[in-house]
Amino acid sequence: MDKSTPDNSGEFFDQFLDDYYAECDEHLVLIRRALVTLEDEVDTATIDRAVLDNLFRSFHTLKGISGMVGLGAAEQLAHHLESYLRELREGSVVLNASGFESLAAGVSLLENVINARRNDQAIPSIGDMAARLQTATTSAPADTENNAAITRWQIEFTPTADLAARGVNVNSVRARLQEIGELKQAKPIVKGAGEIAFQFILSTNAGQTTLKSFEVDGLVFQAAEEDATAQKIRQPVATLAPSTVVRVDLDRLDELMRIIGELVISRTRLEDQLTELKRSTPPAVWRPLQETSFGIARQLRDLRESVMRVRMVPIGEVFERMTFVVRDLARENGKKILVQLSGGETEIDKFLVERMMEPLLHLVRNAVSHGIETVAEREAQGKQTEGLLSLSAMTAGERIVIKIADDGRGIDRDRVLERASARGLDTGNTQLDDAGLLDLISTPGLSTRDEADRASGRGVGMDVVKNAIEELGGHIWLATKLGEGTTFTIELPLTLAIAEALIVSVDGQRFAVPQSAVREVLEVESTSTNVLENNEIISYRGKVLPLLRLARVFEMNHELGDKFHVLVTGEESNAVGLAVDRIIGQREIVVRAIKDPLAQSKGIAGATELGDQRVVLILDISALRQLAVKSRH
Amino acid sequence: MPDELKMNNILVVDDSPTMRRMVITSLGSLRTVKSTQAGTGLEAIERLAIEPVDLMVLDLNMPDMHGMEVIDFVRRHQSYRNIPIVVLTTKGEEASRTKALEAGATSYLTKPFDPRQLADVVGSLLKTT
Repeated sequence: MDKSTPDNSGEFFDQFLDDYYAECDEHLVLIRRALVTLEDEVDTATIDRAVLDNLFRSFHTLKGISGMVGLGAAEQLAHHLESYLRELREGSVVLNASGFESLAAGVSLLENVINARRNDQAIPSIGDMAARLQTATTSAPADTENNAAITRWQIEFTPTADLAARGVNVNSVRARLQEIGELKQAKPIVKGAGEIAFQFILSTNAGQTTLKSFEVDGLVFQAAEEDATAQKIRQPVATLAPSTVVRVDLDRLDELMRIIGELVISRTRLEDQLTELKRSTPPAVWRPLQETSFGIARQLRDLRESVMRVRMVPIGEVFERMTFVVRDLARENGKKILVQLSGGETEIDKFLVERMMEPLLHLVRNAVSHGIETVAEREAQGKQTEGLLSLSAMTAGERIVIKIADDGRGIDRDRVLERASARGLDTGNTQLDDAGLLDLISTPGLSTRDEADRASGRGVGMDVVKNAIEELGGHIWLATKLGEGTTFTIELPLTLAIAEALIVSVDGQRFAVPQSAVREVLEVESTSTNVLENNEIISYRGKVLPLLRLARVFEMNHELGDKFHVLVTGEESNAVGLAVDRIIGQREIVVRAIKDPLAQSKGIAGATELGDQRVVLILDISALRQLAVKSRH
Repeated sequence: MPDELKMNNILVVDDSPTMRRMVITSLGSLRTVKSTQAGTGLEAIERLAIEPVDLMVLDLNMPDMHGMEVIDFVRRHQSYRNIPIVVLTTKGEEASRTKALEAGATSYLTKPFDPRQLADVVGSLLKTT
């Protein structure tokens, strides 16, 4: 019986039994998944080759390892299954319903055999099944025809004026085909000499004679070929997975994104070259080139969006993790908290989710520990005993907005101010607006963990939170009202790798400014600027807009001309104008981080290439704004 | 007018017969124009194959073959790629304007449309081609 196991080696191989069972389980799982896929393909002319290959390999492996551990019944059964698969693979038999059943029954018997051995039970007989599989294996394809009466046809119709006059046109043809079967596809095609035709794919059980009657109307039938019928895109890996989900390492997606980034740069180069050509090329030649370039841009955008979509995960997973944290914390602190989630289906780049986990946790912890009051406190204030913490997300254009709101005590400005001046921090004016308050509680010096701070408000790790968000190109806002609650609003880009940017120039040097950071572009005459307490300002929408000269920030020895451009950034009250020589244009840029610490500099977020292979620095607007604020004091 | 005898054939593609009639009537003010119609994208392409078409007025949202696919097909085809295409689609999809133009639409108008404007656009496109 154990023909592949030499005498006395049985015991030796026994020590691998656990491994053997584990591997059997693995393969049986794979096999069952493959069977699910195959079931859909019974009686169709096409079977997914990858599924068959994987199935074949699993049986082959099972045969091999079963032989080694001396489980002859499993070995033989796997062998028969493998043989049947081989025939299927070679196309010498068609997978019909009875064949599939034999396959499925064979697999479950194989499982029984392996389990019987594992549980020290009597091994079931495999004789009948072996015979059944053998029949399936040797049966001629003709035997399967009864079951495979539904055939796929590829039909071509070439419209002509004559046919149209007779009432034979694409619509009538389609209607007639729909009567005799299921129309899988209808699309226009171009034949050799530019002739237009229509291609239909029809699944029908109608006989040849019915189809022949169509031929007088210029329809050409042929059995649909594998590739012509494979309309659903075959995903060999996916078909094996139970939920058609593929797990992919984020690094691989990053690599893909990098390649797309290169493509974007090449396309930009192409566009530049086209612009160069325009002057010297006749429009008739140039226009199609431009059309093609447009086409590539469009396809590239589609490609990028598709890859981005692959990187997207619903933020709901993160929210759900937060609810556990809230539950534990609330129990620890003797608070009652209702967590409200909304927009959990909003999708965000996987990379961003990972980076946002900590900041979000901080905010949620703060809301629970310091924001929401104890049951007793709430009752004393006539509030609902249950505190409310709501986490919500939504997309707004190219960005995602996350809100974390509580109905707790709010942040006590006076105590924060008190705290800050006790630490010798410059608190500026004493009329703190929400933005100023956020800046203050995000000051590293204030982020201590002593009791007073804990009681006074948030402070804990807010600097970390704010930095993390800004590093990701995002913003955070605070709205708080004493006794009523606090809301943090976080806005993040959906993805980091590629962004729209304005290209500006200062002293002949170009910089990229993320478009999302720019609210408005102004043209300013140098005579309209004023100096106020060491700060250069212009009037903007009836208010004062402090100017930050980029040349000065980067210590370039350069003065602006009579007319220059100003990029307005930031919120109403905190707006800062960046003064540059001029705006060169708008581009899609590929953001690259600057990893060399020697090249890193405050105010620079990264670098990009513009197609002429020269590197352009990307400005870090939030850092520049901070510089502007600092220089004001 | 040197080519006053030449009648330009306009292909009007829209799944609504009423809308087609409206378009055709609007174009009636152009004297050198005759029209032909199609109710689906596939039908539109069939018309191209069986009669000369000088310009296309094309709806975007149609069953079975979207107008964008029609543009795409026409622009790829060596013999038809230069036919001007005036997209005439329902208002409120401003985002599709850029897409349509990038895909190769020559002009983009929204419904409800101004009959005179449509005639003007079609008339001037016919003059320049």
